[in-house]
Amino acid sequence: MTVPQTSAVSFSGPTLAFLSLRLWLGLRALIAGVEKFSARVTIQEPLLGADGAPDPSGAIVEIEKKVYGLSHYHALPDTLTTKFAEEPLLPALLTRPFFAALGPVLLLLGLLLLFGIATRWTLFAMGALYTVLTIGLMLIGQDAGVSWLAVHIGLVALALTLADQNRLTLTRA
Amino acid sequence: MNPSAPASGLSRRRFLSGSASAALALAAGPPLFSIGTGTGVEKPLRLAVIGFGAQGRVLVEALLKVPDVRIVALCDIWDYARVYGERLLKSNGLEVASYRDIEELLAKEKDLDAAIVATPDVFHAPVTNACLRAGLHVYCEKMMSNSVEGARSMVRTMRETGRLLQIGHQRRSNPRYLVARDRLLGEARLTGRITAAQAQWNRAVSADLGWPKKAAIPADVLAHYGYPDMHTFRNWRWFKKFGGGPLSDLGAHQIDIFNWFLGRLPATVVASGGSDYYKNHEWFDNAMVVYEFPLAEGTARAFYQVQTTTSSGGGYFEQFMGAEGTLRMSENPSLTTIYREAHAPSWEEWVQKNYLRANAAPAPEPGAKVDARETAALATYRLPVVTNKAIHQYHLENFFQAIRGRTKLNCPADEAFHSEYAIFKAIEAVETRQLVTIDEPVV
Repeated sequence: MTVPQTSAVSFSGPTLAFLSLRLWLGLRALIAGVEKFSARVTIQEPLLGADGAPDPSGAIVEIEKKVYGLSHYHALPDTLTTKFAEEPLLPALLTRPFFAALGPVLLLLGLLLLFGIATRWTLFAMGALYTVLTIGLMLIGQDAGVSWLAVHIGLVALALTLADQNRLTLTRA
Repeated sequence: MNPSAPASGLSRRRFLSGSASAALALAAGPPLFSIGTGTGVEKPLRLAVIGFGAQGRVLVEALLKVPDVRIVALCDIWDYARVYGERLLKSNGLEVASYRDIEELLAKEKDLDAAIVATPDVFHAPVTNACLRAGLHVYCEKMMSNSVEGARSMVRTMRETGRLLQIGHQRRSNPRYLVARDRLLGEARLTGRITAAQAQWNRAVSADLGWPKKAAIPADVLAHYGYPDMHTFRNWRWFKKFGGGPLSDLGAHQIDIFNWFLGRLPATVVASGGSDYYKNHEWFDNAMVVYEFPLAEGTARAFYQVQTTTSSGGGYFEQFMGAEGTLRMSENPSLTTIYREAHAPSWEEWVQKNYLRANAAPAPEPGAKVDARETAALATYRLPVVTNKAIHQYHLENFFQAIRGRTKLNCPADEAFHSEYAIFKAIEAVETRQLVTIDEPVV
């Protein structure tokens, strides 16, 4: 790990503030990306008695479980996907590759931010991504989502203003 | 076989002798019924299907999915139904011997293991008794008979011959019903003290069954089996000589659930019903029945209604209502719900055991409560047990497993008779318009 400028690392208030923002934004993007590979699936298992043996009735119960896997990738909930598909200003030619890349890009940005690789450009790319998402949500009338992303972009902007305080990074930028 | 023939001419001496034989046979244990080869490879059970009407077809469809059984003979008095059955079975790779008459079938088919009886109710007793005496195990559709005497004769013949006789109350083998009874009501006691029960089967108006004119049974053949005409043959469920009406056809399943879940027969019954809509039927088209069950914790009343002129009112279900919750069961999983009273202890333990799943609570509707005395809406749960087989398949499989000596019957004829006795009494209550006391039935 590269320790920039001086051999002694100082952790002033602004530095800690920036590291907190970097950590939050990195985890936020990483987990949002991971969750796009999750799904709730229903599996069937024998009903077990108190002794752990299958119930004498032979009953099979449905149990809902959360699982992760590449095959479960979904960029957006089905309800939003339908609304995007119905929006004439968002042609499939643009949305299809965007949605295909969204999950992997969030994972990548989250990891870059957490490891401190090209931090300024990563933050800027994150802000750009959230802005593009915001445009989409504005077009389909999802005002709550727009507000939510506005908070994210505010945090990204704040992080960029504090970027000089960056420490514990793998690259200098 | 003539439906007017007596179901059984059993003397007391023969009955006692037969009972002793049956007791000895049962004491001998499972090997008596085991016909497995003992090599780990199962010898298929050879079956005759007797009666190939609507219910016979349902059972055959289920039988075709059961491993290690083979339908080898088919019997029905209607050539049209028999030919349809032969073709259906042939399309499933089964060549069957086909008979119009049960006596001929039993005389010629000497290597049968069991018979599946799905004839009109009036023939259940004579056909079943003949099969049992021929050494076959029998799965007979409910109701056992359209008369108490007919049903009683079946129990006696079962005991006399030592053969197995399963009655087609198929809910008794359904894992969903078994879990509801043994886990939800038994182990978890979710409902608390049961104070009431309700069940119903409401069906829309339907036209009488017809038949292709070219396929009509000759009048002399119909007369031989006791039918005055083709309309009566096709719509036998509505005629007292042949069936028991809607309380028997539909109610039998659900009143049996009252008795099975509550663990006893009701003590009394009052009822009202009538043939108010259909003008060419003998049996009533609607009935409302109230039983009283003197349970250990206090009396519970059970209301049953069957309507054949409206499908309104929530379809078909059996519901047990207690101080802490209500269990609404139906063969249709989408009609099954468990309700928890607000003051009931937490059910989380049972959710963790996979006995229940909580449904999402509906958002409260402003102004929905119009009377201050209204109780808050109940939290709802669902039963997570799934059934991956046709509803009759579990009961048939229980029958075959019992033949192989691996389990007990879930609905042997003596238990079914005990339960069906309450249905006969409800019919009596409708006809007499009196409160009827239900004594313990004597076989």
